[in-house]
Amino acid sequence: MTGTIQNRESFLNTIASSLGRDRHPGKIERPVWEFQPQKEVLKGATPDQLVEVLKTQCLRIHTSVVVTDQTGLAETLAETVANYGGGPVVTWKDNRFSEWGLDPLFHNEWPEQDIEYYEWDHTKGRENIRQAEKANIGITISEITLAESGTVVLFSDQDKGRTVSFLPKSLIALVPKSSLVPRMTQAAQKMRQMHLEGKQVASCVNFITGPSNSADIELNLVVGVHGPVKATYIIIDDL
Amino acid sequence: MAMKIGVEEFKERVGKGINDSFMRGAVAGAQDSMGTRRLSAAEELGNWEDWRSHGEEIRKHVLENLDYYLEQLSDNVAKRGGHVFFASTAEEANDYIRGVVASKNAKKVVKAKSMVTEEIHLNSCLELAGCEVIETDLGEYILQIDDHDPPSHIVVPALHKNKEQIRDVFTDKLGYQKTSKPEELAGHARETLRQDFLTADIGITGCNFAVAETGSFSLVTNEGNADLVTSLPKTQITVMGMERLVPTFEEMEVLVSLLTRSAVGQKLTSYITVLTGPREELDVDGPEEFHLVIVDNGRSKILGTEFQSVLQCIRCAACINVCPVYRHVGGHSYGSIYSGPIGAVLSPLLGGYEDYKELPYASTLCGACTEVCPVKIPLHELLHKHRQEIVEKEGKAPISEKLAMKAFGLGAASPALYKIGSKLAPAAMNPFTNGDKISNGPGPLKAWTEIREFPAPNKERFRDWFNNREKGGNQS
Amino acid sequence: MKVSLFATCLVDMFQSDVGKATVELLERLGCEIDFPESQVCCGQPAYNSGYVKESKEAMKKMIDAFASAEYVVSPSGSCAYMFHEYPHIFKGDPVWETKAKRLAEKTYELTQFIVEVLKVEDVGARFEGRATYHTSCHMTRLLGVNKAPMTLLSNVKGLEFTQLPGKEQCCGFGGTFSVKMAQISEQMVDEKVQHVEETQADYLIGADAGCLMNIGGRIDRKGKPIRVLHIAEVLNSR
Repeated sequence: MTGTIQNRESFLNTIASSLGRDRHPGKIERPVWEFQPQKEVLKGATPDQLVEVLKTQCLRIHTSVVVTDQTGLAETLAETVANYGGGPVVTWKDNRFSEWGLDPLFHNEWPEQDIEYYEWDHTKGRENIRQAEKANIGITISEITLAESGTVVLFSDQDKGRTVSFLPKSLIALVPKSSLVPRMTQAAQKMRQMHLEGKQVASCVNFITGPSNSADIELNLVVGVHGPVKATYIIIDDL
Repeated sequence: MAMKIGVEEFKERVGKGINDSFMRGAVAGAQDSMGTRRLSAAEELGNWEDWRSHGEEIRKHVLENLDYYLEQLSDNVAKRGGHVFFASTAEEANDYIRGVVASKNAKKVVKAKSMVTEEIHLNSCLELAGCEVIETDLGEYILQIDDHDPPSHIVVPALHKNKEQIRDVFTDKLGYQKTSKPEELAGHARETLRQDFLTADIGITGCNFAVAETGSFSLVTNEGNADLVTSLPKTQITVMGMERLVPTFEEMEVLVSLLTRSAVGQKLTSYITVLTGPREELDVDGPEEFHLVIVDNGRSKILGTEFQSVLQCIRCAACINVCPVYRHVGGHSYGSIYSGPIGAVLSPLLGGYEDYKELPYASTLCGACTEVCPVKIPLHELLHKHRQEIVEKEGKAPISEKLAMKAFGLGAASPALYKIGSKLAPAAMNPFTNGDKISNGPGPLKAWTEIREFPAPNKERFRDWFNNREKGGNQS
Repeated sequence: MKVSLFATCLVDMFQSDVGKATVELLERLGCEIDFPESQVCCGQPAYNSGYVKESKEAMKKMIDAFASAEYVVSPSGSCAYMFHEYPHIFKGDPVWETKAKRLAEKTYELTQFIVEVLKVEDVGARFEGRATYHTSCHMTRLLGVNKAPMTLLSNVKGLEFTQLPGKEQCCGFGGTFSVKMAQISEQMVDEKVQHVEETQADYLIGADAGCLMNIGGRIDRKGKPIRVLHIAEVLNSR
């Protein structure tokens, strides 16, 4: 499906004429930038160091961090969900949940404990949004995790609904330790690389840094405005 | 011009601002806390000046090649199925958006905070067309339900209101019955707006930075409202000032980092959302249809002039948060949705000197704005350039001032005249002098002495003392 | 070392004590002082008001007045900064740009000259009292002189120093701003005076004639028991 473009030529001609020249005939090469300080941040840090940076930053963004490994994940997740008051829980549809051994928790333990569980299913249309809206907890997986800012990066697709991370009251993001990078710089490079390799960038990439908040009333910080009120990152040691 | 707010004259607006003690306390508090946060966010990087230089080089490069990057952006948006409309004027932009709204038979629009839609007065235009328009940023929402009170700050639009005033507005307009605690007020807004998100037909957003190479957009918020605006309604319209773009994700990242640190002292805000086109075919959330409106509205007239660098602006409000004039007069005094130093430079360019001729003078040229600007716009120099334009090209300076300056040109520039003038000063000032000071000065001194004492000219000028001393006279 | 004094019009006409202190201080530090008689105003009031053409005439006179100077020193940060602006103002002018550059290169604010050129950090001054210091905007932000005054003051014996809250904020002088935007200027200088009072200092010290005239004039009008002094006067005290 291709979109439309209206009024472009005269608009761009006006710009060129203001700049005192004709329209650019060919491709402009992006210059080699003189300054690139972003590449120096946390340069050469080990994964363990990045975990420490992430943990420290999370103290500043009202976000809990739990570190576990694959064997401990189900228990940790169960505990975190219980602490947030239980279900309803909504998750993406993602094979990694199974690979990490979460099937028994999702499909046996929670139903037994009357914790309502819903897995995103694009064939059900708007029902997904209804489920996400009434959910207490949304569970997603971070594709890239930014240590400096304490940010999880989520790529949307048909099985990974955008609203899983916005509509529920609390957000739990599973963070593979291997997804940690120093800062947004590496995420931007990766996204650009995907594009240059001909892969389509997800229609929605979310950089989420802790729970929703606002300081619009007398600059008082209110945590939880439109999005989640609470957030926990569970770091899974997969290295 | 659409971005104009209020009808009062500059002096009245300033007077009102100065007498609004709550607003002044709020602004001073905000400047102090945001200033500190910005500073520590900048300093912890250790090489903030390099960051600023990088921000500047990116913005300059884009402006120099703006036609190229806009062409690339629009091609890539269309490739991903989006519709792009280039609007030369506010009217063209509003007409197009109204057309989309009508074609969808939309009754309800939810909006994420956007300065450019304020600039073109989009809301009133849609409301006239019978559409309900709901601002979802908490600050904007408060202003909107308070009968469209204009924003007084680019980043914290309702900064001039205290929580009791906000509670009263909520009680009046929404039947709110709880206290003035910010948590409870925000909780109420969350519940009310959640329903609006779920039932809106169209979502409208601004754009922090568009990415030419992929046809993407980034939206930066702390509340997450922009995410709901772009996830739930079936149609999304994004409105951007034509200069708000970067070549690739890599430059977007740098500018987002500069923006969040400069605006609120955060490494990143809670939500940074990068959107490319409408949703994929099998996606459930995200818009089915995506429109991008690129707005000129006077910007192309700034390109190629001495003021071009003002278009580097990334709307972080760091300059507003350090401005000593803004501190005392508040945002509404500027008579424009763009306040503070950036507003004083931009408003006369977009809205003309007729409405904004005082703004360039509402500055001591102290340079605090220039010092903090993350993309190195020489704001105080641009204010000075405006003054020069007003005097030399526009001829809008008062006659008395012109005469005084002419006399200055003659007097100050002539050593002989200067010497005679300064020698005669004590005698000329004698009638007004009381001991060593002048408390009630004549002419241009009047405005000074209404507030402060003015020193009486020394009977013996410094140069006389020096010369006597050289000749072996007095040794003090 | 030969120093040509750029006294500034404010000091010449209204604050001759500051000029005297500057001369004595520099002489004590071994400088030979000369006062070029044909100096006028640096042109800043007209320039900042947008009257660039008019102000250029004064600037040319100043460039000529100091043409043969080895060093130019001024007891006012903003005025010294103005000399540094000249090359920018005369940019592209075949005659004056080079001359302006030469002037800018040899022009220093007083404390900057003492610390950077004379390499003196302790001028041997003694001054008893509790004092605070106003950092002028043009001197700190535009001329880039931050440390020199603090270094010199920290070595003054007997001086009890307290930091001024909100020191980076403009005092509201801004040249013609002080009369053109008087209602705003008043609020700014009032906050500055309030901050000075909070320090409970007996003396407010500064290194810029304009700011001191503004803050001092307001302090005086309000009858506050605070004395305003130029840094040259403090450094010249024994």
